[in-house]
Amino acid sequence: MKPTRTTPCFVSALSVSALLVLGAAGSVPAQTQFGGVNVEGSVEAGVRGYLTDDPKNKERGKFEEYRDMSAGPMLQQLQLKFFTPDGGYTGEILGSKWGREDQEFSLRAGRTGLWQFQFDWDQLPHLFSTTSRTLLHEVSRGVWVAPVIGSLSDFNGQATSRELHDVSVRWDTARLRFTLTPTPDLELNAQYTRIRKEGDRPFGMSFGSPGNNFLELLEPIEQTVHDFRLGGTLAREKWQLQFGYTLSVFRNDLSSVRFDNPCFQAPVGGSVAFGCSAGESPTATSNVVPKTGQSSLPPDNMAHTFNIAGSVSLPRRTRIAGSLTYSLALQNADFLPHTINPSIAANPDLALPQKSLNGNVQTFNLNVQVTSRPLPLPLTLSAKYRMYDLQDNSDQISFPGSIDSDRPAAGIVVPAGVTVAKRLSFTHHNADVDARYQIVQPVATTVGFGWERWNRGSEREVRESDEYFAKAAIDATPFDWLLARLTYKPSFRRDADYSRTVNASNGFLFRKVDEAERDRQRVDLLLQFTPLDTLWVTPMASYRYDDYLRSAFGLLWETSWSAGIDFGWSPFERLSFSAGYVHEVDDRDLKNRGTSFNLSSSVNADWTTNMKDTVDTFHVEGKAALIPDRLDWTFGANYSTSSGTRETRLSSATLPGPPLAVPGLLPKRMPAADDLLVMFTTALRYHFSQSWTASLFYTFEQFRKNDWRTDGLTPFIPQLAGTTGSIWLGNDARNYDAHIAGVTLAYIFK
Amino acid sequence: MTGRRWRLFAGIASAAAVFCAGIVLGLPFSSRAQQPEKPAAAAAAPADSNYVGAETCKVCHPEQFSKFSKTRMGRLFLLQARSPKEANACETCHGPGKAHVDAGGGKGKGGLITFAKNDKTPVEKRNAVCLDCHAKGARVFWQGSAHESRDVACTNCHKIMEQVSPKAQLAKETEIETCGTCHLQKRAQTMRSSHMPLREGKITCTSCHNPHGTVTQTLLKEQGVNETCYTCHTEKRGPFLWTHPPVQESCVNCHDPHGSNWEKLLKAAKPRLCQQCHAPGGGHPGNMYGRGDTASLKFVMGHQCTNCHALIHGSNHPSGKFFKR
Repeated sequence: MKPTRTTPCFVSALSVSALLVLGAAGSVPAQTQFGGVNVEGSVEAGVRGYLTDDPKNKERGKFEEYRDMSAGPMLQQLQLKFFTPDGGYTGEILGSKWGREDQEFSLRAGRTGLWQFQFDWDQLPHLFSTTSRTLLHEVSRGVWVAPVIGSLSDFNGQATSRELHDVSVRWDTARLRFTLTPTPDLELNAQYTRIRKEGDRPFGMSFGSPGNNFLELLEPIEQTVHDFRLGGTLAREKWQLQFGYTLSVFRNDLSSVRFDNPCFQAPVGGSVAFGCSAGESPTATSNVVPKTGQSSLPPDNMAHTFNIAGSVSLPRRTRIAGSLTYSLALQNADFLPHTINPSIAANPDLALPQKSLNGNVQTFNLNVQVTSRPLPLPLTLSAKYRMYDLQDNSDQISFPGSIDSDRPAAGIVVPAGVTVAKRLSFTHHNADVDARYQIVQPVATTVGFGWERWNRGSEREVRESDEYFAKAAIDATPFDWLLARLTYKPSFRRDADYSRTVNASNGFLFRKVDEAERDRQRVDLLLQFTPLDTLWVTPMASYRYDDYLRSAFGLLWETSWSAGIDFGWSPFERLSFSAGYVHEVDDRDLKNRGTSFNLSSSVNADWTTNMKDTVDTFHVEGKAALIPDRLDWTFGANYSTSSGTRETRLSSATLPGPPLAVPGLLPKRMPAADDLLVMFTTALRYHFSQSWTASLFYTFEQFRKNDWRTDGLTPFIPQLAGTTGSIWLGNDARNYDAHIAGVTLAYIFK
Repeated sequence: MTGRRWRLFAGIASAAAVFCAGIVLGLPFSSRAQQPEKPAAAAAAPADSNYVGAETCKVCHPEQFSKFSKTRMGRLFLLQARSPKEANACETCHGPGKAHVDAGGGKGKGGLITFAKNDKTPVEKRNAVCLDCHAKGARVFWQGSAHESRDVACTNCHKIMEQVSPKAQLAKETEIETCGTCHLQKRAQTMRSSHMPLREGKITCTSCHNPHGTVTQTLLKEQGVNETCYTCHTEKRGPFLWTHPPVQESCVNCHDPHGSNWEKLLKAAKPRLCQQCHAPGGGHPGNMYGRGDTASLKFVMGHQCTNCHALIHGSNHPSGKFFKR
């Protein structure tokens, strides 16, 4: 869990060595020769520190989410290029952020125009939390055990006192790639990628039916992805042919995770369990044993994918392109038992009918695309068809019984009745045709129509749905300095067999927004003004409205719009400047019916939530040569702020009736959540000579967040009157301010 | 490493070794076969009298020549040309230069294709010059693609004459900047608090998209949304015993991979995201109603719905029907 960081001494030594070796080797600023090979390269090293307190450990969760920002010496970048004087052979070594958690390296070698070999190494840390706490201990990988607790106060103390190290996962990616171009029209390539993921991430486990206790702990990540690809393209003047094969293998070193739930154990010396659930007697046997639950982890799987694609040019400026892809995904990991609870495991209804799924999913993907300019007119016709078919041929297994959690003690009834793990297959068709005609030289219009069909089969709520759309677009360049693109695309999704009535049998699964009937209106506008070669302005606007007509519940409508502008100006060669702003709004209404009521009749418990997200993003960058060829100044800033509100109200105009007499049943207004990210960096670069450059930089970052769902979330919410206790890690992405300054020295010879 | 993993690794390594060995063994023959008699043919005046040769271009355009000669394409054309066409160097792309030279040079003289933004040569014709050599690999589906059909020129995104970006000769230093020229909103999304590591430089737009045209509507590199995500998030591929249908159909039903102001790149805040499909009736928590404030509240704290339904992408547990185990 705690990252292993390279020592600053090592990075210092590496940085100084690199600068000295390269500085000594390249006594001239230009490309140099070494053993008959031309060499050029660059190295940049320095030191980084925090002007004020660096983001304290608990604030690093967001600050170092995907990077290593530790203070100290740094070898930021090292690049060496080798090539023979005739340019026939080339080689390159490239690395950045040497010695840090997020370091990356690349090694390339090649024969110009013939072959290229590449090896990449990349480390990607993903830091989830630096504030997690738990009273459990991991006794072996993925097995967490609760300590013996003497009293409820002891419980609270232990739950909040033991801090975990960083909760993070690091992805180490190694990639080998070889590309061969034996003739200019033939390209062959082979690639192997291995991704190793190690670490932990927050993970929840429930211990009972809805409303009961749950526990958040860590999912162990010990996973490896192997991805092996072979491919080739033969490209002749009139036709191209492409083939490929991919083998993707996923291996998980662990198949399960086990957590003790400290709520369900008796204190030392007493027979009374803590019983985090007040709804159940703490002295009840069911609250004492068992205390351990088990969840499954993602199973090993693999997929083979075969692909062939090609295109051919036909007379009358017509071109047909197509592809066929077949993929076979397999998964046959052994099932875990229904329960690890010995008192119910022997229940005959919990015997496994077979030991694994025989998972087998096949996908076919067919694409055909025709583009034609058949007439001596500026007219382009195109047609496309795409079919994606997913067939889940895995075994459809019937389980005589199942158990919601490992918690029930002996005598607790296993849910009666057979549970069938149905296999879900679907076919997805897309087709569209359009015509583009250049009415006059600067104006081209496109009109088109399309169709999309989903066949989901009898196991889904909608067996078949069709969506039709139209498209109209104008691209205009009335002046050299103006490009305008306007697109309007309405679409209409209809399904014949979706029950629109509310009924109890639908239960809480009854409205599927991805299948519901929908009318969509979409408009996009992009303008590009370039009055001068050195000045450009790009305004844009986008609008989308989705109306889920005839949806009684679930998402009713959604509006998304955005508007923005980008601006760039380079008045002199010594000065360039760019800036941009985008405003985005996503607004939608959602309707549902309150808990504990009959879905078909309790109209007084209907509630509607309006969810509105607003995001504003600014950026600005600039570069100026304060003293030509001697002193440069660069700066860049990003500012992003968002706000999300969820306003809930009762849908009914009048509020009579018994349900609302209970205050707890009134809908609650969820507070807004907002965040702010500011990133500003500026640097002065002084060029001592063509080869040597010193940089002084300063970076400011600020993150602010208000989200009531996680702010101040304590690890343990104990038993309260009328409620149940639950346990979290208490992790939260904390606000931070960071003032970073540093100096680097760069040596370059080209 | 277990025996099974060793065998898998050894198998893959052997296959790679055999493939590479075959290639290397075949190299001398291929190499000879494709090398012209005189590799540095570009320096000499070509046989076609309409072509003047790169050395002639260099006389008036020394700076461009110098920058171009440092690029990969420059080295190929100027030093390692594999065909008479490549040996034409500058004129391979700009067209024969004799008329331009005879006219005494200057902008717009001699009918050369300049690839400048205001070049009168139609975009289709300009792109055809590039596709003459670059029709392989990722560009098989260029024609009819979203960018081709809107008259986007290759040189809108790529800079051929000098190396501005570390890879792919982009018009700007990074892919985000290049793509962000038109896709302003997507660029802005990368700055949101919930994001993939684009702004850290760990992935780029082309990690998922092929801007040169693909079989998908959103120019994805793989055959669909999920196949693209599974490239790295392979653990979510399954097949699982219990499948969550919207996951199986498209990851973007719930996630916005370009960035979000909600955790895990979600398109909306939980529990409302889930409630867009699931009405939590029948006593199910998460509604901010219920048996009392705190009781209901705890289900919308932390991970909200996934406090309990932690395996929402699919479960292989015999009792995992509700993605809790």
